Amino acid sequence: MWDKLRDNIKFIQLGDGLILLISLGLVVSLTAHYWLAPAGEKIIIKRGGELFLTASLMHPFTVAIPGPLGLTQVEVYHQRARVVSDPSPRQLCVHQGWISRAGEVAICLPNQVSIEIAGTTRHYDSLNY
Amino acid sequence: MRLLIVLVMLVLAGCSQPQTYSQESYVFGTRVEITIYGAPQALAARVTKQVLRDFDEMHHTLHAWEPGTLSRMNAVFALSPVPAAIAPGMIPIIQDATRYSVQSGGTFNPAIGNLIKLWGFQSDHFEAKLPDPAAIKKLLAERPQMQDIVLDGIMFHSTNPAVRLDLGGYAKGYALDIAAAYLRSQGIKNALINIGGNIMAIGQHGDRPWRVGIQHPRKPSPIALLDLRDGEAVGTSGDYQRYFELGGKRYCHIIDPHTGWPAQGVQAVTVLIPPSTHAGTLSDVASKPIFIAGVAGWQAAAQKMGVQDVMLIDAAGKVYMTDAMKKRLNFKLN
Amino acid sequence: MTALTIRPTTEDHRIAYMAALAIALMLMEAALPTPIPGVKPGLANIVTLLVLAQYGLRAAVWVTMLRVLAGSILLGSFLTPGFILSLSGAFASLAVLSIAQYLPKPYFGMVSLSLLAAFAHIGAQLTVVGLWLMPGVNVLYLSPAFALAAWIFGLSNGLIAAHLTKGSLDANSTT
Repeated sequence: MWDKLRDNIKFIQLGDGLILLISLGLVVSLTAHYWLAPAGEKIIIKRGGELFLTASLMHPFTVAIPGPLGLTQVEVYHQRARVVSDPSPRQLCVHQGWISRAGEVAICLPNQVSIEIAGTTRHYDSLNY
Repeated sequence: MRLLIVLVMLVLAGCSQPQTYSQESYVFGTRVEITIYGAPQALAARVTKQVLRDFDEMHHTLHAWEPGTLSRMNAVFALSPVPAAIAPGMIPIIQDATRYSVQSGGTFNPAIGNLIKLWGFQSDHFEAKLPDPAAIKKLLAERPQMQDIVLDGIMFHSTNPAVRLDLGGYAKGYALDIAAAYLRSQGIKNALINIGGNIMAIGQHGDRPWRVGIQHPRKPSPIALLDLRDGEAVGTSGDYQRYFELGGKRYCHIIDPHTGWPAQGVQAVTVLIPPSTHAGTLSDVASKPIFIAGVAGWQAAAQKMGVQDVMLIDAAGKVYMTDAMKKRLNFKLN
Repeated sequence: MTALTIRPTTEDHRIAYMAALAIALMLMEAALPTPIPGVKPGLANIVTLLVLAQYGLRAAVWVTMLRVLAGSILLGSFLTPGFILSLSGAFASLAVLSIAQYLPKPYFGMVSLSLLAAFAHIGAQLTVVGLWLMPGVNVLYLSPAFALAAWIFGLSNGLIAAHLTKGSLDANSTT
């Protein structure tokens, strides 16, 4: 067993070890960045200013939020969220498309629905728009 | 390790949560967000509720096309020069708005309600349609302006029957000033008020200033961060707020009173207003003339409105700033 | 009338032989079940590494391209997305190998080359998936799994290739 291992290790030169370490670092940082950190990243859906739902972005789902004008459809897919459909006439929040980074928001004003991506830290207290 | 992070987060959350009271609501035809720091929960909840109730009241009073105080005034203007009794609360608003309109050389002109209606922006319903150019010309020729309104004691009338008030570029800022004064009077030392994007700061958020994100005109995230000092207000006019697209061209809700057409060539104008009793109002009003002036005339327009801190983003996404504004904005996000 | 005769050189024979070996490994691997779709040991890359070490880059390119083409025809995936993925991965790893072969020799051996090639392989494949095959999917979200697989198989393939070259070099030195 140990002989076998030593047999293999003798093929790993200094530079090989270096590249092994660097690439392992890449694996670890990719894992930390895409799998561990986003665990804290959630979507916050509010209706009429009241909290309607918070959910992880990890698992895809769709949800319909009833507002004064009708249903606003929100979709979460692959760490991103978007408003799929909304009864508002101008459709501004639907045109906004996917949001994924902490602090990004889409507001469906007429139907009083807002979706926000929450990260581990909030970079600002309020948004000027 | 992950457990540790979770523990630290719980502790941090435990420290910061109870001191901040935050309420989001949809009144004033827009999204209102009130955040209060360091006040007892009961007091924060009570004053917030009152502010939201006042906003709702103001919304009905100042609404440009739904039945209310302002729409009644508009009906009286049409009967020019027949006078009628004015609602007392409207007197300072009319005087104030007239003063800003004169200061802007008529580029801020709330009297062009008919023009805004013609463009379809006085409606909750969407229609991507250009108005008849002849109709625009006709409305322009009627030259409605704030100076046409005559206040005489408890009576008012208009010398021009074409005057129709639309306080869309004024009301939110005015409401900010009212709300800030009320909160201060109730002993609130630290608060952040956001009415449809116009923001005013009172005090600060604990040991750091209130921090606001300035919306990127084409992305769902902020373009820059700005720390607001006590009493400062920030406002943005953007072509992304209300607009329609037709033939690949964007027509936004900011209409140049001199041409009758939506302003072109600018994506957004942000103004930062120093503390004063009118800071909120000015944060709403001042961005419009600068937006309409465009890349060529924005500095002159800012000077005219007495605003030092301005950022303008042109149609190509290029950012222009005054030196004063450059010092305040932080573009290095995260 | 002159008959057109193609005279295969020794190099042609060598390339054909090695490509056949690589195709055999590729087919064998395709028959094995994999826990995650798309994650494969890539044993055929060992052949690429050996050819590169013994006969140079030109031969390695030929062997790899033949393997991708013929292998996909045999598997029935020619010109399908799977083939495009295979091709892009092969191109990327050859590109990286063409540079990495100049790494100072005593310090950087087969393991280095194998790892670099493996990471180039998955990098190119994820790019193709993200930009072309499934543009709506956030492929970076999948990247840790593929990067880990690349690391493990890059190391093991490198060690196998090292064993094999060591063996043949020893054999050469004793004769």
